[in-house]
Amino acid sequence: MKSNLLKVGFVVALACCLTPFRACALDGAVLIANSSVAADSLTADALKDIYTGKTKYWDGGQAIIIAVLPDKTDAALQQACGMDSSSFKTFWQRLAFSGRGQEPKKADDAAALVALVASTKGAIALAPADAALTGVKKIEIK
Amino acid sequence: MKQTKVTETRKVLLTAALGAAAACGASAYEVPLTFFGSNMPPIEVHGFASQGFLLSSDYDYLANDTKNGSFQFSEMGLNVSMNPFPNTRIAVQGFDFDVGNVGQYDPFLDYALIEYTVNDELGIRAGRIRRPSGIYNDIQDIDLARTFVLLPQGMYDARWRDWSAGLDGGELFGDFKLPKIGSLSYAAYAGMVNMQENGGVARYAENGSLPVATMDDTPTFGSQVWYNTPVDGLRVGANVTYMSEFGFTSAGPSPIQVGPGVYLPGEITSHTVGNVFFQQYSIEYLWRSWTFQAEYYTYNFTGWSHVQVYIPAAHKTIPQLQTTGDNPDTWYAAVSYRLNKHVELGTYYTMWEDASLHQNDLALCLRLDLKDWWLFKIEGHYLEGTGLLRDDASNPHQSQNGGWFMLALKTTVSF
Repeated sequence: MKSNLLKVGFVVALACCLTPFRACALDGAVLIANSSVAADSLTADALKDIYTGKTKYWDGGQAIIIAVLPDKTDAALQQACGMDSSSFKTFWQRLAFSGRGQEPKKADDAAALVALVASTKGAIALAPADAALTGVKKIEIK
Repeated sequence: MKQTKVTETRKVLLTAALGAAAACGASAYEVPLTFFGSNMPPIEVHGFASQGFLLSSDYDYLANDTKNGSFQFSEMGLNVSMNPFPNTRIAVQGFDFDVGNVGQYDPFLDYALIEYTVNDELGIRAGRIRRPSGIYNDIQDIDLARTFVLLPQGMYDARWRDWSAGLDGGELFGDFKLPKIGSLSYAAYAGMVNMQENGGVARYAENGSLPVATMDDTPTFGSQVWYNTPVDGLRVGANVTYMSEFGFTSAGPSPIQVGPGVYLPGEITSHTVGNVFFQQYSIEYLWRSWTFQAEYYTYNFTGWSHVQVYIPAAHKTIPQLQTTGDNPDTWYAAVSYRLNKHVELGTYYTMWEDASLHQNDLALCLRLDLKDWWLFKIEGHYLEGTGLLRDDASNPHQSQNGGWFMLALKTTVSF
């Protein structure tokens, strides 16, 4: 038992050493937010914390509402939080149905996503890079 | 008979309502609120309904009469949540389920909590909460949130949710950054677990023995810690939980042996009290479309049964004190792979043993996400041993060693 634990520890430590630094680019997408959001930029780690439910509120206490556009920004979603769209959906269903979080809101197309973010306080989303960003602010990833 | 009809009708109506809501909405419902003329944050409404089917080759397992096929395997939930104030969230979920002779479509309040988040490192939840333990405990009966129909039953027994799923009390939670080496997520909880006289633990306690008359409310505390490694998707976790003075009373008529081969009619009352210490260790790695999971779980129950044996013919009461205990352990390793947004494959192998009893299970599952709001699963099991079967007059097979098969189907709609 003890030797097994040591083996697991060794594998974890080795994996940690081999991990590359987190990339910041979002393939084919930009990060947008509702105009009520004060932040103009986020670090890649802060973005991951939001998309994995560790950070739930903006400074000031406004709830963060994640909006998603399934199938259109999957590569960027993977870069933002390390999950593909199916894993991301299941992850948030786990939180929602155990009382620990609020499921992301879904939009059907880019225009609807931008409109949803524009009309929802505290909203944030990964939008296609070619979407018309009307009524929302763009957030820089550092 | 009439009660069964009412229950079935209620189930059909609830399932139909949730199914229709899912089919029409396919997303959450949002209810705008106005309070004294000012706009309040909207209420989010989500729900799901699952219907399963179990068919087994040799023994009835989980539901009644699975040898002939059983639909006694369903769950449904409806929740609402809102953020009424800064950093504050309220969430409530009603739940209804049936697994064999447990649940019986009797709706109940699953969770009702208020949560205040001070910052990423500290938050507090109070009310009726789901108990975090391992990868699946707090979502053990949420079919849509996992690959498999049946989780490894030695660890997440579908009949035992009243023992394991939640508690009335509070929880501190948060996430600490560990510079360059990941982060540490924690949840520390304490409260009372309210088990039901018709719940799964009571059914287990009376397994081939006296009927359970009362279940004691049980003080419970513990903690779940996850180390989120700097490797994307890799985390390892540990949970310890302590239940203090978990107890129940059994009572009923029983023949009493008063001499060699001589029995008199009698009555037995037994109050069992004991402490339970749980441990669970987990590792999970999400890599691209793969999910790898392994967990180990054990608990140690040590207690005493204060037994009163009453023989009416002799006007005699005989008190007895018996020690009792239970120390099973179990583990599983699981792998799943998502081919695309519609298809996922998964398999696990699990072993469970307790004294001379054991049960091993090899499962293979296909999950089909037919629509955004509708999924279907088909799962085959090859089991060896029967240690997790309930031992009663209709199914006296708890210590068999041979192999047997089970088919599990389940479909879920959600919004």
